Amino acid sequence: MSDHLVAGLHCTEATDLAAGFVLGALRPSEMAQVRAHLGGCPEAHPEFAELAAATPALLAAVPQVEPSVALGDRLMAAARAEAGEVRPAPPAAVAPTVVTPPVTAPPPVAPRRDWLGFLRPARVPWALAAAAIVIAVVLGARTLQLQQETSDLAAYQRGVAAVIDAAVQPGAQLAILAPGQSAGPNGLAAVGADGTIRIAMRDLTPTSGNQVYEAWAIAGSAAPLPIGGFQVGSSGSAAFVTTGPTASGVVIALTLEPGPGATTPTLPIVVSGAAQGHPAG
Amino acid sequence: MNELGAAVPGTQGSAGADPDRDLLARLAMGELEALEGLYERYRTMAYSIALRITGEPTAAEDVVQEAFLGAWRNAARYVESRGSVKTWLLSIVHHRAIDLIRRRRPTDELPETDASGSGGAIPEALTLPDVWGSVVEGLDRTAVVAALAAISTVQRQALELAYYGGLTQVEIAERLALPLGTVKSRMRLGLLGLRRILTGTGGAFADDDGAGAS
Repeated sequence: MSDHLVAGLHCTEATDLAAGFVLGALRPSEMAQVRAHLGGCPEAHPEFAELAAATPALLAAVPQVEPSVALGDRLMAAARAEAGEVRPAPPAAVAPTVVTPPVTAPPPVAPRRDWLGFLRPARVPWALAAAAIVIAVVLGARTLQLQQETSDLAAYQRGVAAVIDAAVQPGAQLAILAPGQSAGPNGLAAVGADGTIRIAMRDLTPTSGNQVYEAWAIAGSAAPLPIGGFQVGSSGSAAFVTTGPTASGVVIALTLEPGPGATTPTLPIVVSGAAQGHPAG
Repeated sequence: MNELGAAVPGTQGSAGADPDRDLLARLAMGELEALEGLYERYRTMAYSIALRITGEPTAAEDVVQEAFLGAWRNAARYVESRGSVKTWLLSIVHHRAIDLIRRRRPTDELPETDASGSGGAIPEALTLPDVWGSVVEGLDRTAVVAALAAISTVQRQALELAYYGGLTQVEIAERLALPLGTVKSRMRLGLLGLRRILTGTGGAFADDDGAGAS
């Protein structure tokens, strides 16, 4: 391979920066320089593709954590607003200032301006207008919370349905997840023959900060294997899908961990249950 | 019920026509339902990546929301030959999360901004010939985690500081008090090792950690 000088870089210099480039670990000016070199260099530089081949593995290796159900609603509300399909839904307009954290680049949402304009007729005394705003904000927040709880409940119901659908498949096992004591959170887990594990839970204590509920699979006398984590909102319910071992009688357990990526469970075990096959399976 | 399960590696999109490309074509035509479909498929992976990098649920949710909106705005710019929809989408998430944490700390150079302001900036790192199909797709997450565990600790550390920590190779060298050449070598050997393990063309090779390189 000839050592071409393109965009101020020789091929050997570009190759030297290849690992940093595919990892995005160069200064912006270096990234741009390498990009320009690759764009203009007559050499194919296959070493870049060779190194880049492993980066998706780094994306796939992160501990799996479910986002809150509300995130999907927020995303779709933002997309609809941007698409001009602004719907007459006051909570969506109030959300960015009351309940949800500010998004980094909020799309132009027209209703908020309209809504404030509505509260600003000239003859309404200032104090009354202010009180109306406070009430509207509080009601908006409450409506949002109710919406989220309804949404979480719907997700739980879909989760239970998915668990049952999975558990009746050939070779699948079902575990009833319950705490050691009689009361507390409970739920179901289906362990599919293909290693897909679906969990639906209710009455969990909501997580805060980075906390996650980590799911563990315990096959026989093997050490507990972390199979993924999820966060829980105020509804206390969750539906979660991951993959794990399919051993007969595998025990599925949940623990509350300070953050994702736990490698050993933090006691106490929140719920657990042994998976059992069904006669048809 | 793929709305709950599709976002888990190893459980999605392996058979038949590529549902992602179908979703993206519909997205490019402005169908909001397609955005919802894409979100349902990849929300867990996207959020997990954003959370791993930002370390904060709130920031991670913002990253995911903006990344999906960016993908939606730029669906028409997706170039099929440069990689799968999954890689494209998750690379936007990765890029936005790294961008966020880099902006939070003082550096001599600010990260590149998306000139179009549309959120579609994609690191070239991941728009090179795609590899989910040959390397990662079809392997479950356990295999990928095991592969990462099989490379040497110092190589893994360099990859993690760069890819999840958003540090440049120079910053990694400073932080670890190592020559820059050593860091470059560890990153290179780590990536090649990971690839070799995942493609089954070689075993773990943790013997060369690049410590002697310069």
